[in-house]
Amino acid sequence: MAAREPCRYLTRALPRASVPSIRPQGFFSSRNVSDEAPARRLSDHLTELETASSLSTPVPDSAAASFDPLARASARKTQLPRGRYQFRSPKYNRGPLHPHQPPPPSDPSSRLFVPGPFSAPRAEQTFDSTVSPDIMTLCYVHTPPGFKPPPKSARLREWDDSSPYHKNRVLRGPRGGDVLRLLRKPIKFNNIPEIERITIHSYVKNAAAERNSSWLHVAGIAIQAISNVRVQTFKSKSNVAPWGIAANRDSVAVKAELYGENMYHFFGKLVDVVLPRIKDWEGVKGSSGDSSGNITFGLIPENVALFPELEVNYDMYPPKMIPGCHITLHTTAKTDKDARLLLSAMGIPFYGKIVN
Amino acid sequence: MSMHTSLRRTAVTITNSTTTILPTRLPTSGTTFICSQCRHATLLRRPKRPYTFTQLITLSDGSTFTHRTTSPAPIYRSTRDTRNSILWNPSSSKLMNVEEDEAGRLAAFRARFGRSYDASAAPAAAAEEEVAKDSLAAKDPALAKRAEAEAKAAAKAEQEEEDNLLDLISAFGQNEAPPPPEKKVPKFTKK
Repeated sequence: MAAREPCRYLTRALPRASVPSIRPQGFFSSRNVSDEAPARRLSDHLTELETASSLSTPVPDSAAASFDPLARASARKTQLPRGRYQFRSPKYNRGPLHPHQPPPPSDPSSRLFVPGPFSAPRAEQTFDSTVSPDIMTLCYVHTPPGFKPPPKSARLREWDDSSPYHKNRVLRGPRGGDVLRLLRKPIKFNNIPEIERITIHSYVKNAAAERNSSWLHVAGIAIQAISNVRVQTFKSKSNVAPWGIAANRDSVAVKAELYGENMYHFFGKLVDVVLPRIKDWEGVKGSSGDSSGNITFGLIPENVALFPELEVNYDMYPPKMIPGCHITLHTTAKTDKDARLLLSAMGIPFYGKIVN
Repeated sequence: MSMHTSLRRTAVTITNSTTTILPTRLPTSGTTFICSQCRHATLLRRPKRPYTFTQLITLSDGSTFTHRTTSPAPIYRSTRDTRNSILWNPSSSKLMNVEEDEAGRLAAFRARFGRSYDASAAPAAAAEEEVAKDSLAAKDPALAKRAEAEAKAAAKAEQEEEDNLLDLISAFGQNEAPPPPEKKVPKFTKK
């Protein structure tokens, strides 16, 4: 009943025309010629128009000369007051049942909103224009029309019903291991592997060993400088007595997660400027990777110092505190082979025995 | 407006299923993710982003591109990058024996002492030959004359051979006449 209540006021408030009519709709369907209004000519409408126009009156020269909105805006001492109402997102998320809900993070008024992207990174353009068509062509497998792939056996095996206790038992894992690998689908136009995100992780050994937080500060700022992203710090999860770390006590690591624009800028800088300057660098080891399309390699502190951001302001960082880091390139490829194909096309060399 | 649920994910297997409070146990290694609702208000922190500048990177071959970086320098000139690194250009003969002179010390040495030390190898060999000839002339003038004539003839023959080679190269396309067809046709018909 309460839901009907505003409806009554609504009908009163709205003008008569917009309220749905209670008359039967058949009234409009049966129209006669006599119902039509007397036809009016176009000339009759024109005579109703007023002949005097504001455009025809001449503008005084003084008004035209004084009209200069740019100068007026620049001459203004203070800013104009903002609009009467501006939505401010609530500072706290008070749960789903609270009447005051924060807007989604994609809303510019949200507190979590991150604007961008503002540029088209070179590496991304290279990927879009060159690498992705190449990968699609290289991975193309032709099947003649009418070809049906042989049916694959189920990845999880069923129990042979040799025992009555097999009933309702969960399925067995694959042979030769308990790990279900990612399924690799044939690469088509809509699942070309691409770089998804880059993780820069740095374990700072001395942060715990020396009981001195400056190591972590320097590492965090150095990683932030090279990645354009604020870092997260992590505490150790476990006790390791030889390293002198206790669980949940010592902050020992920093990590930066790069997505989108930041990621491509970092990748381009890494490949074009930093990696070629590393002395006697052979490339990324061919056996790296987690067999699901993510490749990791490490940089020692001397290599991290080669980044242009650290180089331009090298004196700011205590030389012995510059961290090394592990860089993980997460791709949407399902196997390491595809990920290596993508990354080597994007400019990362691999060496040694290639393990897929 | 969408409903936002504030859920905290912890990698802890909670034995007590009735609890809704946050676990007090430390997270152990496990892959069981359990979401427990937290009823307090959570602060929506504004994301912190470092200020970035647009920087122009000039590679060693002169190509440029811009990127966003925390470095305030407007231009970065790289001396060593993918364009002149042997790892990225494995087939480039130019880079095979590229001189490692990143500090410019070899160039500074050359600017000070010149390159004459470098050119000493070939003139030394020529000088030795000259000395040998002189000693031969001192021993026997006729023998020396014969040796000189032989050398001249050898040089002339070499020159001629070079000319022939050059002729061969220049006349490669023009001299080549199409093979007579009447010779070939019966061959094909026979077979």
